[in-house]
Formats: sequence, structure tokens, C-alpha cells
Amino acid sequence: MSKKFTLSRRTLLRGAGALLALPLLEQMLPHRARADAAATPAGAPRRLFVFYTACGIHMPRWTPSAVGSDWQLTPTLQPLAPVKDDLIVISGLANAPGRPDGDGHHAAATSAFLSCAKAYKTEGTDIHSGISMDQVAANAVGKATRFASLELGIDAGKGIGNCDSGYACPYANNIAWAGPATPVPKETRPQAVFNRLFADFDPSATQAQVEKRRAYGLSIIDFVREDAKSLQGQLGGTDRRKLDEYLTGVRELELRVNALESQGPSCSPGVAPEDTTDVRVKAKAMMDLVVLAFQCDLTRICTFMLANARSDKAYPFLGLTSGHHTYSHHQNLPSNFEALATIDRWEVEQYAYLVQRLKAVQESDATLLDHSMAYFSSEIADGNSHEHKNLPILIAGRAGGALHTNRHLRYSGDPLANLFISMLGILGAPVSQFGDGTGPLSGLEG
Amino acid sequence: MTSTNRRRNALALTGLALTLVLAACPSNTPPKARVLPGPDAPLPEEPAHPPPVDPEAMCRSDARDPGRVTLHRLNRAEYDNTVRDLLGDTTHPARDFPADDHGFGFDNNADVLSMSPLLMEKYSSAAERLVDEAWTRGDVGARCVMDTLSPEPCARDILAAFAHRAWRRTVADAEVTRLLGFLALARQHGDSPEVGLKLALRAVLVSPHFLFRVEKDPASAAGSEHPLSDDELASRLSYFLWSSMPDEALRAAADDGTLQDPAVLERQVHRMLGDAKAQALVDNFAGQWLYTRALDAAEPDTRYGFDEPLRVAMHQETTLFFREFLTSDLTMKDLLDAPFTYVNDRLAAHYGLPPVGGDELKRISLRDRPERAGILAQGSLLTVTSNPDRTSPVKRGVWVLEQLLCKAPPPPPPNVEGLPTTVDPRLNIKARMKMHRSQPSCAGCHSLMDPLGFGLENFDPVGRWRLKEEGGAPVDSSGELPDGTTFTGVMQMRQIVKSDPDLAPCFTEHLMTYALGRGTTTKDQCAVRDIVKQAEARGGRLSDYILGVIQSNHFTHRRAETETPRP
Repeated sequence: MSKKFTLSRRTLLRGAGALLALPLLEQMLPHRARADAAATPAGAPRRLFVFYTACGIHMPRWTPSAVGSDWQLTPTLQPLAPVKDDLIVISGLANAPGRPDGDGHHAAATSAFLSCAKAYKTEGTDIHSGISMDQVAANAVGKATRFASLELGIDAGKGIGNCDSGYACPYANNIAWAGPATPVPKETRPQAVFNRLFADFDPSATQAQVEKRRAYGLSIIDFVREDAKSLQGQLGGTDRRKLDEYLTGVRELELRVNALESQGPSCSPGVAPEDTTDVRVKAKAMMDLVVLAFQCDLTRICTFMLANARSDKAYPFLGLTSGHHTYSHHQNLPSNFEALATIDRWEVEQYAYLVQRLKAVQESDATLLDHSMAYFSSEIADGNSHEHKNLPILIAGRAGGALHTNRHLRYSGDPLANLFISMLGILGAPVSQFGDGTGPLSGLEG
Repeated sequence: MTSTNRRRNALALTGLALTLVLAACPSNTPPKARVLPGPDAPLPEEPAHPPPVDPEAMCRSDARDPGRVTLHRLNRAEYDNTVRDLLGDTTHPARDFPADDHGFGFDNNADVLSMSPLLMEKYSSAAERLVDEAWTRGDVGARCVMDTLSPEPCARDILAAFAHRAWRRTVADAEVTRLLGFLALARQHGDSPEVGLKLALRAVLVSPHFLFRVEKDPASAAGSEHPLSDDELASRLSYFLWSSMPDEALRAAADDGTLQDPAVLERQVHRMLGDAKAQALVDNFAGQWLYTRALDAAEPDTRYGFDEPLRVAMHQETTLFFREFLTSDLTMKDLLDAPFTYVNDRLAAHYGLPPVGGDELKRISLRDRPERAGILAQGSLLTVTSNPDRTSPVKRGVWVLEQLLCKAPPPPPPNVEGLPTTVDPRLNIKARMKMHRSQPSCAGCHSLMDPLGFGLENFDPVGRWRLKEEGGAPVDSSGELPDGTTFTGVMQMRQIVKSDPDLAPCFTEHLMTYALGRGTTTKDQCAVRDIVKQAEARGGRLSDYILGVIQSNHFTHRRAETETPRP
């Protein structure tokens, strides 16, 4: 953490309460959102949150039996009892593009999790998938906020060996894809996320100081852009494409620097989270940061990976001795079903915590949750057979009145991409075509 | 390279000339598809059985295509080490960067190392902080004092020296003049030359010349190979051995044009391997090749008493053990059975060895405890190739095949992973795994993987020696390989691996993958053979292999892209 940051954080902290008791400053309210196509009727912006969990779900304890508004919470969904009214459970959607060539179900389905695009099987070179729906939304609505989107997760990467049966690690570690060959990496340290959200903004700076800082930042950007461009002329095609990635980064940085003053956080950040390796503490810290980023309108699009594809994470605090992926190949053994249901329920608890936090924040005459869609799913359904159909899906929040909640919708194999086409429309990023989709998902809205 | 290719390479190399001590598992699975993006692209035709290749004939020609390495972004370890050596910064700023994905087993694969807006943002804020702090410490800008009225001469001096080091190449006057523009900018805004100089230093650190390892192709060289420039070769060398920028001595050898001389190169390699910075080769090459890095995330069940001190000690043991190979006369193959290791009291007690007197790891002889010798008996490897609550002969066997022999089996068919836990727990694991060999779809590979793992069954999931399994059954550490070779226990098993003709080429392939930062293919197999021959002729020390890679055409040359630079 830089010295400069310490100073500005002190300023920010002056008089601020703890993270949980954040006062929402009135002036943050939709000053930018007013002219926003994606705004809710009340004028607040719509947000998208995506929660990814690995290795599938044990479906018999997940799926409600009744369809429509008579549905009841199942054992795995029990942690969502306080927000049942705000929930839609969706059964029966399929993500066919997640099916791999041969093996590699987890990686292929994870890269298709939000893209509904088929991953090209390769261990390193020539990665190819598709743009993910969160990035489509970010392209459409992201300019309104300091960060077009935020990508968060718990695990950085496996670090050794192969990721999944001939599929390169980027497929297994990323659900956000800016384009077919461009995974959007995620941040896995809560403190680094906090610093990124708040460090560069100094509310005590004068207009002249802000302008000078911007001018200096832009001059560095101009300098390195020129470096890259002149270098590009001296390189072959493959290397040039690497430099294109660099130039894209430079362009984004320029937008960020240009917006320095106009897009500072409009509410108080509270205290930076401590770094930890305890997944329970870390997941909670990340969920708090999501709420904070939405509340302060720093971004409206956020994705989160509770684990990477094919995670074999152990859950000793749940009394489980083996790893998640190992259990997920359950071989129909009751003891493995028990273990999976225990893990699933814990995952739902983490999501439920976030949903409840969103619901606790007032925004205009409603709550943050009312203006959001918080999506929960896994890359596959059953982990033993690697099912790419009948996926476990939840949406919490009314998306500014676009969604009628407290329902269980059942489909028979409709493409998951259809749900994303609908969600993108709600978010103000309408698309006519996405992945293997055929059109908006019938029966979702209203 | 896909594991299928690896297997084929191994086959091609071992070929007809040598006995197949450990054959690759018969491939009754369909060949790995390399399908073009798109749902309905046709599968390319691949022969089920590649025609046998005579390795002598295949490599008779002297031509060795060095291949291409894509423009290489510094990974996190390289960034941290580079700013340490450039600015004296030891804060590991890259900890805040998103993780680098890995490809072909290493996180320095140039194709996989991508650039993203998030990373760009991190580079930008890191540069600002690094320059501010280094300035305060006096680690930059201390060469001269800037005259308030005429700061340019001193600033030029500082920037020229800094850019030369940071960009790891000769810097043109015009480039320094461009950097000096920041002083004028600062003056326009009423700031001191110091402010302008710091902006210029930040620009150096955000420039692609710093963030990437640039290797240029001459415009006339389309498709043909050419030697690297002296600067480029120095960078390849320092990032291979140190994961960092060249130091002054290496830069001097590059600057005076002597580095391409094989004798000079050899002296530099030995000097660099003896330097403390060679720890990076242990952490980044061996840490990934030997899976030591995975120890950080290992979560053995609590009943094994695995705690942080043990984790740290295991990690250090493998680190110190491998480190000794860099500068000693031990051969690469001695990694399998060198009769020494490093333990502290905690690890000694864990292994059932006498205490060494403290928390610090000390070198001990294993002459009396031969079963504990070599990497296959080290707690780090045995732990990361186990499940949290039991050993996994499959994982251990696959590790040996992939990392030591490059005979990776294809992944299992869907719906068969994992060992049913309802089988009689009184049976030993070998008996419980018999199913693998009774089902034809499994037998092909498991008859190869499982026995190697059985040989390590005397080590429990955290590497303790045992004679009985947890269920009470006596350990059976015997195995039979597909060719009928039988063995009992780790000592016999590791001798089979040590004498396998694929060990040396496989090690070389991993080393080359790391050294070049690109995956190897069948096209590289002759170069691998050359390096093995040369290294063995010199004595087969680990440093002979390192030197062999560095002196190879693959390392000192590159092929220009057919798609040439734009005019």
C-alpha cells in the first residue's frame, strides 16, 4: 500500500463508520444514471452480479418439486429462506457449447459458463472461446462507472500441472471473456481489490491538482503508446497481436485516467479487508466488496468465482476430509451425496450472504437488491456424469421491476444463452444473437 | 504439446532402437481432437497408429529449426525480481497483479501470458509507487545532482543509464531525448525537474520495452533463422537462470560482443548458477516441475498432523536438495537417489530420522536410510500427489510418467474417476484397485500408472514411512510393468525410472520448455537428443543439461516469422 494511499484513505475514513454501517450519501444517487437506458423506473442503475461455483450441484437436494409461485425451499436452498421472496429458481436450461471435445468437461464448461461458446481444445497457444455476457453488458453500460466491470475470485490458479485434460488453464480459471481469445483475469486478494477501488481517488485534491495529475498520467500513456506503435512496426504478426493486447490495455487506462475526477467513489469505503487464506473469511470479504462497489456505483457488472474449474478444495471446517472434485465423482454413494450436499449448502450460504447484504442497502425508495440481478450457477449439473443440461440456476433481485420473483421456472432443455439474451436486454445491452441462443427466454420477464 | 503428442514423441525417440522399459499405455482412446473453433467443424483425420520413426534417420540432418518464441510478457516472478534488481525494491509488487496462467506446465509460457486492462492498470500504479519509493531511498537519481537552471545533462545521464538497464538493451539517444520531454512538461505545470524526471522513470517502467522481453526479427529474415542479438541473448540467459534482468557483468559481456562465444557463455552460466539469484531457477523451474508449488495449497486431513511448520520444512527440503544440484558434481539422474537430504527437527521426526538440533534445515546423509533418498521419497512430492485422506497410486504414477518420462497417459474416460469407498477397507489399496485392470477401457493405462504408484505405497499421504495401511492391511509395494519387469518398493522402482532411456530427454524437454517459454513439439525432438548427448558426454551433471540447452541453436537463435514486420 502506497504512502499516498494511506493519506487519502485517512481522509476518506474521517467520520466514517464500519463497513457494515455505510451511510449512503444522497449525492451518489443516480446523477449519472438519470439518462441511462439501463436505469430502473426509479432512476437507479441496474446491476449484474454473477456467482460461479465449481464441480456442479447435487441436484436431488437442490431442485424444488413445485413449479411456479408455490415452490418451496429445498434442503440446499434453505440458507436463502430470508430472501425467498426475492428469488427465481430456474431449472431445465442446457449449455450445449460447454461440452468438450473428449474430456475436459470442467474447463470447457467454465469458459462457456457465461459465453455459451465452445472452447477450442488447446494447452496453450491459439486459445479461442467467445465473449461472455457480462462483458457484453460491460461494453454497453460500463462507461457510466469508473470500472466497466469487476472480476473477482478466491483461487488464483493451480500453479502446477495441467488444468483439465488438454484444455489450457485460462479456460478453467476465467468466466469473463472480453473476446474469443481474451480472458479477463480476476483479482483474488480482497485487499488488492479494495486498494484498486479506492486508492487512486483523493477527495481532498483541488481541481488544479486533479487536472495536473490527469495531464501527467495521460502524458505517460501517450509516451508508451508511441513506444508500442513504433515497436509494432518491427515485429511479426504473432508478436504484433500480443502488442495489440497491450494497446487495448493502454486505451482502457486512458479512459480510467481521463475519468479520474468525475468517477471517484461517491461513498465512504470503510476499512480495507485483511488478507487471509481462510476461504470463509475471504469469500465474505469479497462479497462485502461487491456490495461496496455497487453501492458506491464504481461498477454495475461483477463476476465472482468461488473456486476454479475442477477444484479439489478440501472443506475441513465442514467436517469433510476429501476434496470437492473427488466427492463430485460420487459413484452414487450416499456418503458422497452427503458430502456434496454439505458443500453445496455452504456455497449457497455465501451467495445468500451477498443477497441479504444487497437487500440491506437502501437505494432511492427501494433496495440495492431490487435494482440488481444476482445470478448463481455452476458449470455443470451433476459432477459424476458431467451434465451440461438441467443446470442449477438462481437469480435474486427484481432488476428494477423487470423480474417478478418468488417463482420456480422449469424448462425442457432451452439454451442457457436464451436466459442471457433476456438478461442483457434487461441490463440495457440488447442483443439479437448470443452463443447458441435462439431468442429471449419465454416466461422469464414479468 | 498435447499429451498424445508427448507420448508419440517418446515413442518416436525410444523408437525401435531401444528396449521399451516403460511403454506408453496403448492408446485405445480416440486421438485428441484439434477442432477449429465452431460447433460443427469436421474432425481432422489422424492415423490411429503413427508410422514408426527411426530416430537416427530423423535427426541425421544437422538442421535444427530453433522455432519462435512469442513476445514474452514478464510474469509475476520476473517482474518482482526485475524491479528488485533494477530499483532495489523487495516488496513483491506483483503480489497484487492477477495470477499468470500457465501452459505446458510452466507459468512463463509466452503464448499464455496475456495482457489485460487490469494488468495495465496495476503496472501503472506499481510504477508510480516504485519510482516514488526508490527515489526516496536514493536507489534512482543519485548518479548526479540536477542543476535547477540546467537540469538536462544530469537528467539525460540518469535516464540513459536507467533505460539501458530497465529495457535490457542499448538505448538510442533519440529515445533518451524523448524521455527528457517529461522535464519540459513538468516545467509547464510549474513543477521541479525532479517531478519531470520521476514521470520519465515511470514511463520507462510502463513501456512495452520494460514489460515485454522483445526479440526482433530482421526485416529481411522472413521465415529463416537468425542469431539473437547480444542483448537478447543476455536477457534469455538471465530470465532462464535468474527470472530477472541481466546484471552488470552479463551486460558487459553483451555490450562488448563476446557473449556469443561458447566459452564466454559457459563461464557466464557457471557464474550465474553460483549466484544467489539462481534460487529463482529452483523456485520457478523445479517448483513447477517437481510440483513443490502445489504444497502451498495442499490440505491433508487433520488426522495426519500436517501443519505450517511441516509444510515449510517440506518445501525447504526439496528446494535445498535441488539447489545443491545446480553447482555440484551430482548428475541429473542422481535426483532419483542421491543419498542425502535436508531436514530440521520437525521433518526429521516426521520421517523417523534422528533430530538435527533445531528449526533450521541441515544436510544429512541417508546412507543408512536409502529408502528416504531422492525426490520420490520427499514429503513435498508425496503430499501433493495424494488425496487429502488417502494415498493415490494413480496420481503418483501419473506424476512419474508425465514429469520424469514424458509418457503422459490420456485422461480417463468420463464417469469413471475416483475410487469407490465401499470396497472392503481391510483390503490393501492394490487389491482395491484391481478393478482398473479388470476393465479393458481402464487396463491399458492403469497397468502402467498404478504399478509405479504402488512402488511408493510405503509412504502415507504426507510422506511418512509405513508398513501398514490405515485399514490395517500390510502395504504391498510390489508392482509389475507391462513388459513383465517386476519390482518391490521405492528403491527398486526408482532404479527402473533412473535407467529408463526416456528420463534424460524428458527432463531436457521440461527444461527447454521453461528456458524458452514455449511448448515443445515433435519438431524439437532432434534438438533434445543433441542436448542429451552433449550433456551426458560432459558428465551428465544438472548444470551440463542447463548448459546444453543454453548452447543449443534453440536458445541462441530464433526463426523469423513468415508474416514479416510491416514496412
